[in-house]
Parts: sequence; structure tokens; C-alpha cells
Amino acid sequence: MAAAESPSAALRRRDLCSRGIRLAGKMRADVVDLLDAYVERQGLDASASVAAVEGVPPAAVERWDEQTGTQRLLENLAAYRAFRALLAQMLEEQREQLGEADTGLGRALAAVLLQVSAFAYHLEELLRLESRGIPGEEGDGPPPPPRLSLFEQKLRGLGVLRELAQWAVRSARDLRQLAKPSLATDAATSLAESP
Amino acid sequence: PQKLKCVTHNLHKMICTWDVSSRGSHGQTEFCYTTNDLTPQICFKTKERRVEIPVPESSITVTIKSSGIAFATKEFVIHQKDISFVPVTPHILSLTSDFATSTLNLKWSDNGSVFPYGLHALWQIQILRKEAMEEVTEVTYYSKLTHEDVILAWNWTSDMPLQCTSHYVKIRCYINATQFVGPKDWSDWSPAEVIPGKDTEPGGNGVFPLDAVVAVGSNVTFCCVHEEDQRITNMIYGSKSYPMMQLSSRSHAIRVLNASASDTSGTNVVCTLENGMDGTVIFVGYGPDVPQNLSCETPNFLIIKCTWKPGRPSGLYGKRRTKYSLFERISGKNVSCEVNEMNSDRICGFPVLPDQKTYDFILGVSNPIGQAQSSILVDITQRVHPKTPEKLIVTGNNSTSIQLRWFINGSFADIRLLCQIEISSGHSERKLHNVSMPGGKFSTYTAQLNTLHPYTKYQFRVRCSSADHFWRWSDWSREVEQTTSEASPA
Repeated sequence: MAAAESPSAALRRRDLCSRGIRLAGKMRADVVDLLDAYVERQGLDASASVAAVEGVPPAAVERWDEQTGTQRLLENLAAYRAFRALLAQMLEEQREQLGEADTGLGRALAAVLLQVSAFAYHLEELLRLESRGIPGEEGDGPPPPPRLSLFEQKLRGLGVLRELAQWAVRSARDLRQLAKPSLATDAATSLAESP
Repeated sequence: PQKLKCVTHNLHKMICTWDVSSRGSHGQTEFCYTTNDLTPQICFKTKERRVEIPVPESSITVTIKSSGIAFATKEFVIHQKDISFVPVTPHILSLTSDFATSTLNLKWSDNGSVFPYGLHALWQIQILRKEAMEEVTEVTYYSKLTHEDVILAWNWTSDMPLQCTSHYVKIRCYINATQFVGPKDWSDWSPAEVIPGKDTEPGGNGVFPLDAVVAVGSNVTFCCVHEEDQRITNMIYGSKSYPMMQLSSRSHAIRVLNASASDTSGTNVVCTLENGMDGTVIFVGYGPDVPQNLSCETPNFLIIKCTWKPGRPSGLYGKRRTKYSLFERISGKNVSCEVNEMNSDRICGFPVLPDQKTYDFILGVSNPIGQAQSSILVDITQRVHPKTPEKLIVTGNNSTSIQLRWFINGSFADIRLLCQIEISSGHSERKLHNVSMPGGKFSTYTAQLNTLHPYTKYQFRVRCSSADHFWRWSDWSREVEQTTSEASPA
């Protein structure tokens, strides 16, 4: 028998979800601005096609409707942990390559990294609320990428920011889905069934 | 036997060859020679039509008796002028490459031991490139033979990254044997040695040079190494597409002339292929200028601060930025300076060393494009620029005099200080009062001002410098205000 979610937990979850949606919206706006600045500062072609970035789960997912709440949260968390590591790598490369020359881009990157970290923490809060254990950080995100050439670094950065912008949209949709009462029982049920 | 021809490769021995009509070509030949009437004739039998005999001082008489279907004997007199001198084909000992600098390093032996001392040798070195082995350049190198085998070395910097396509090197030589009267000629070319390009390597694809740094105004060749079956669409430098040259079936190149300064993140060079894209980044900047207005002073006899004007910005940042180091010749001490590329003035600190007054500094400046330096000799006791006096307070006053006290951060025990007190009150003119005193170690200093007016509000501030060798005043201290007490009734 599925345990019904207490009113206070439901209220807390909807509050976390709506704050998460706002955070995702802000993050997306900042990422889009950063993407424009990044393309311009790195001398890239905005329409350049970039291979999928290793270590980042793609935002596009099949049968999105059929996902349970927990699956959504876990996939989101995995993605933002990966983004956290990749953005930190980009920031390090930025400092190494440009030093004090382009602090504007560096600050914008750091700001988005902060938001990604905050969003990851937010997702962990939601998982805790679902009395769901927080998956450990296997070795702190994706394995360190092979030593890339500068051009490959630039393209990877472009790929990361594009994918992050997609994920921000998906996250907002996932959280709206989670905020719906019906889904709450799915989450509770999937907890009951899990070992 | 006919058409006897002799060639020497080392001025000692010569190889003579001759033709024989078809009827006489199968049997054995007796070959006899004598250099002059006094020496006995030397004979030997051979099946070859080729013998090696000594080079004569002047001439040699040769008799060739061939025994085939018909016997034939012929005598020849060969003069030195009829003998041609063609040096042995040189042998390349090693051909190595430095891809980072696109440099080929060639080593070969001059084979000098077989020649007399002092002969002049000319070496022609040919560089070839591409699948078609097109000649890129031919250089003549001069050397002097020393009757020993000497290993000669020569290097060449390509105008194109060595990764782009295979480079080949051949060498031949000409020896100016002035004493030898016969015709002299170039040796044969050596076999070509090769430095394979990435276009011969499976998986060697990429755009080259990889992440290079070059000076503004350089002419740079970029190449895109791709799979054989991959069609290349274009190659773009920055935002401009350039005409492509084909180097091989797997390599295309563009040539950028007079490259202009790149943005902070470098200029992208993008190779667009029908199913993908590859690229590299190049940083185009300036070598460092010679530092201008180098000046060094000490604020406290603990540290020496050197400042300078950097000149034209290099346009290079991050790990490619211009780096500065301060080397002091007397002590041999070297300090690397942390400099913020973005602000215009430059400053570097060097510790004051025990028992050393004079410092012979070399400010070294370098970045991936070049280096420069400035030097300065300075006696720090003549370059004292004290810190701003602090904690200025009034420690005593009466109707006509006031005592001031202040602190200066620094160790001035070895010099005398000259301090200037500015006295201002109301609308009257500011007065300056100079006082000199022995310097101290992180200590306070006092001064007494007399002949003040009773019951008058005064503002005081102080600055100091070296009394023995004035260099620069410190900044003014903060101001203090004090009113003298009323005069006691007469």
C-alpha cells in the first residue's frame, strides 16, 4: 500500500520545486548570455557543429513522460554534477590561457558554476525529501578529459554550454512535473518498491 | 681496348675503365702500367674492364692486352689533366627534426681523412617536400678539410610545420683541390633522408602548427591533415577563407602573410571537412620591449622596489604572458616577479641583502616570441623613499610650542632622516619646518616646534626622506590639529 505524502512534505516539495524552477530559469538566461560572450571571445562560429561532450548525459531523453520523479531527479543530479566538474575545468583552462586578460568571461563562467553547484545541492534536497539516499559522487564527476588542444578545448566549452542551456530547460520541465500532486505518489511508490 | 677513362674519388687512387669491341670481350685481360721509365712496369690480370691504380704525379703509361677471340694490345698515356676528380658521394649520418620549431638537423661526415689538409669543400644541401618531392631550397655550405673525418652539422627551419608533409634532404659535395689539374666535378647526390609528415601516419590528422605563438607580421603556413577519402571544404583563418594548396592526398595548406595581432583567446584556424571540423589556435603578438625608465628604491631597507614602463603590450596572456625576473649580479640572486599584465605600471620586489649597499640589477623580460633586458646599478642608501609617516600625534604643548611624535615603518638605523613639518593655521601662509635626526629601526620620531602663537589652532603634517642623499620625500602623513594654550597673564 503506497504511503500517502504528508501535507507538510508536499508543501515543502512544491516549494523546493518552484524555487528550483526559478533557479533553472535564471541559470538558463545566464548560460545563454555566457554562450554568446563565449562564442564571441573565443572567435568561434556560433553555428559550428560540436560533437557530444564526453561525460555529460544528453538533455534530450526518450519517453520523457514515462520517467518517475526519482529518475528525473537522479538524472538531473548526475548531469549537474558533471557540469560542475566541466565548468570548473573550463574556468581553470580560462585562467591558464588568458590569465588576467579576460576576467569578464572568467567571472561569468564562475557565476554559472556557482548556480550549477547550487542547483545540484537543490536536487539533493529534493532527493532527501523523498527519503531517497543521495548517490555518491563517483570520483568527483567524469574522468579528467584527455589533454585537449586549445581548439578542442574551445569546442568542448561550446558543447558544454549548449548542453547546459538545454538541461536548464529540461530541468524546469522536470521540476514542473514533480510539482504536480499525482507524481508525488509515483515518487513515494517508487521508494516503497525500491529494495 | 678503347676509350680508357680514369676517375679519382680521393686524389690517391683512380678507377680506370675501358671499352672492348664485342670480339674481345670474354677472355682475360692483362693490365700493365708504369708511371715513368725508371720504375718497373706493374702488371696484373683481370676479367673486369675496371681497375684501381694510383693517381700519377704527372702521367702514366698503360698497356692493355685483351685475349678474347682475337688478341689485342693497346697502349695509353694518361696525363693528370685527363683524370677527373669526383669526390665520394657524401653519407648523411643523421637527419633529426624538432617539430616544435619546425627545424631539421642534418649531420654528415666530411670524409676529410682521405684528403690533404686545408682543401676547401662545398656542400650543396637540397630540401624537398610533398609527395612529388618538389625542391624547396638548395643551400651551399662551406667547410675546410683537416685531413681528419669531421662531423659537420647544419640545420634548417621550415616555413611550414614539419607535420604537414614529408620533408627530404639530399647532399653532395665539391672539393676544390687546387693542386689537382684534372677536371673536378660534384659528387653524386646522397640518397634522400626523410622526415615523415603526419600525412603518412594513420590517425595523424589535425591542423598544424598546434597552438603556436608567432610575432606580428609573420608569414605562417597552416595545414590540415585529414583522411585520404575525406574531402576538404575550406580552411578559415580568423574569419577569412584562404586559397588552399595541396601537399599530398591527405594534406592541404594555406599561407597567411603578415599576420596581425590576435585576440586574447588567439586566432582560430578552422579546417572544414565534409563530415567534420578540425582546428588549431595561433597567438600572434609582440616580443617584449626593452623596459623603459627602470628605477629602484627602498622604502624601508628591507625590500628594494624596482619599477619600469613595459613599453608596447605583447598581446599575449595567461601562460604565454611576458614574464619578468630580477637578477642581481653581485649576489647572484634571482627573483621572478609576479606582474599583472593588465595594469600599466610594473613593480618587482627584491630583498635587501645583509651587508650589501650596492645592487647591480638586470631586469630580464621574456615571452614566447622574444626577450629583452635592462640594467641598473644602484646604491640603496641613495635611493631611500620612506613610507608615509604614521600615528602623528601631539605629545606636549604650551602657548608657544608644540611637540609632535610619529612612527615610520622601516629600518633606517644606518642613515639620518630629514623630516619636513608643514604648519598651517587659519588663513596664514603654510610654513615648512625641517628637522633632521638619526634614523631608527621601526621607531618613533619627535620634533619640537617653537615660536607659535598662543591660543591659535594649528594643523600639522609631516613627511620624511634621507638626510644624507636626498632621493624622494615620503607621502605626507595624515594631518593633526592642535590649539596652543592661552598665554599666561604677563
